[in-house]
Amino acid sequence: MKTFEERTTAWIDGQLTGAELAAFEKELEAQPEAALDRAGARQLGDLLRTHGTAPPLANADFFNLQIQQRIAAGTPPQPRAEVGQSGGFLWSLPRLLWAGAASLVVAGVLYVALVPAAQPFIEPSNYFAQVVEAWPSDPSISATTVYNPQDNLTVLWIDGMDYMPSEQLALQ
Amino acid sequence: MNLARLLPLLLLLLLAAVTPGVAEPAAPPQAAEKKAAVREGDKIWSGLVYATNETSPKDPPAELRDFAARLKRVFGYNQFQLAGSAVKPIDGDGEGWLVPSKNFSLSVKARRAVSKEARGGYLLSLALYQGNRQIVETETKLAPGSPLFIRGPACGKGHLLIVLQVQP
Repeated sequence: MKTFEERTTAWIDGQLTGAELAAFEKELEAQPEAALDRAGARQLGDLLRTHGTAPPLANADFFNLQIQQRIAAGTPPQPRAEVGQSGGFLWSLPRLLWAGAASLVVAGVLYVALVPAAQPFIEPSNYFAQVVEAWPSDPSISATTVYNPQDNLTVLWIDGMDYMPSEQLALQ
Repeated sequence: MNLARLLPLLLLLLLAAVTPGVAEPAAPPQAAEKKAAVREGDKIWSGLVYATNETSPKDPPAELRDFAARLKRVFGYNQFQLAGSAVKPIDGDGEGWLVPSKNFSLSVKARRAVSKEARGGYLLSLALYQGNRQIVETETKLAPGSPLFIRGPACGKGHLLIVLQVQP
């Protein structure tokens, strides 16, 4: 049993005959645009049969080989001008300028990131006293170096020494 | 990798090389300092100072006049009296004793500090004694105008300080 679409195609191509044609045309009475569609399809077919011939290929084998290679590579063919730009040994002038500008930006960022900002000038102090190391002679004694940067003073701070009455001093 | 792909990297390296401060570090500030000449005849002066708080403080001794205000802030006392002093020339071997008072003595061995930052100073090996009791040994750097203060024992209403100073 043919489907409606198969019978429609056969009807357009003029392949329905006899009782089958009569039954189908009776079925199409409810669709008045069917005759118009068949006329359009036949006109298009005639047009394609008259003008639809492909141009002859001079090197058909070479053309097929090219198509197969591009399909195998998976890349679409590029315009010849672009191929020339990307494959050149030296860069063009605009490209060099862009690369130079980008390098300047990168160098500036590196300069800001890596070089510390200028420190405010601090007048070098003439004060020099330093306690390199201190070794208390008794566990009950502690010796701590105190450097007071605000007053620029170095003190060896000793705790644990014996109290001394002030009467033993010979004050001047 | 062809040369065209290396060009940005080469440009970046070239710029980094000619940018001041990136390629070479700044000269250390010490380079600008002039080395102070070490004078012959330097001496080590030590003083025993009695620091107290008084309602009418006396003027500090001349040896401490430049430091009195700072001592007041650091130690919290307002009067500084000299209770003894001793001076010793720094001779060839640099070893000797400083006895600023009968209660305290200092064994001193001095040698010149040769570093650029020494400012004509000395490296001292000190041993502080209270009576016959050794209190502490220390290695200390001193230079003229840069005394070392040792906070000693409590004494009376205050504290004793020992001052060590190189005098030109």
